[in-house]
Amino acid sequence: MVFTSLALFVRNRGPDEFWRKRKILKLSAHFYGRRRNCYSIAIRAVHRALVSATKGRKLKKEDMVALWETRITAGCEEHNMTYPLFREGLVRCNILLNRKTLADLAVWEPRTFKSLVKVAHARVSQDGLAGVTELGDPPSGIITRGMLK
Amino acid sequence: MSNSHLFLPSGFPRAPLQNGIGRFVCQLQRITIKFCKSNGSSRGVREFIEKDLLDFAHNYPGIVVYVKPRRHHSPCLSAEYLNGERQYVNCHNHSRDEVIKWVNLLRTESGNQIIRLRKMWHTDCPSIQGPWSPFVNRDPHLNVVEFPNESLSRPVYLPKTATEQLKEIFEKQRQTNVSSLDEKQAE
Repeated sequence: MVFTSLALFVRNRGPDEFWRKRKILKLSAHFYGRRRNCYSIAIRAVHRALVSATKGRKLKKEDMVALWETRITAGCEEHNMTYPLFREGLVRCNILLNRKTLADLAVWEPRTFKSLVKVAHARVSQDGLAGVTELGDPPSGIITRGMLK
Repeated sequence: MSNSHLFLPSGFPRAPLQNGIGRFVCQLQRITIKFCKSNGSSRGVREFIEKDLLDFAHNYPGIVVYVKPRRHHSPCLSAEYLNGERQYVNCHNHSRDEVIKWVNLLRTESGNQIIRLRKMWHTDCPSIQGPWSPFVNRDPHLNVVEFPNESLSRPVYLPKTATEQLKEIFEKQRQTNVSSLDEKQAE
């Protein structure tokens, strides 16, 4: 057989081309239209998807923190307290709970959360931080470590 | 990356009928082993049957084992579970160790469908004190109050007005003047 010069234009890109493309097309299986089946279009879409996934990992954490802070603030305001004062009071009493735990307590264990707010209120009133007088009288029956000085 | 490309249903880890909280019940009901007596693809399964099957059946008396020799067929394991689900594993050209591992996997599975786990934990009782509701921190006397109510319509915290502060200062000054006058009179 005699091959014409057309055969010379076919580039052999190697034996693993199928698997290389399959790696990308596996990730684009749920895209719309040609973006899931045609490699040249899919690779662009997959790269954008991976980039937004990378950015989203950081944003997800920020979103969750904002949600927890909203919930803790709502729980505090119910008991006549503000979020920054609440946090400061807990830290000064060496109660180092993170925002996730505090939010879970505010939702699922409301009485525990109320007692935490009271502890923070007592400590903050005793230390005399700015903005305490607007919250009203400090709660009674709470002994903080500072009182034992 | 999202998990949509897996096309898996998603859910939370569940035990069928709270298995394990009281006593643990093995969810595997019966396991059917089909193999060929002569074909080379069943060699691993045949070795498993010769050496490990009796120990397996003795250790787990709650699992019924059926052994079916079938000529000219690939060997396979078919597992049926207490919730009616079935699991099928083709053991063509598997070694004996692989068959042992597959059998142990089928034994430890519940019949639940394989899903993407959204969280690695699950509780039926997330709250001990009762979850928050808008009525948790409210005084129950609000149930029988008639609105409009004067005492409840006042603001919770009112700072002192400037007039009241001036009045207080004036009163204080008058007191000090009166006391100084008394001292002078006494002298």
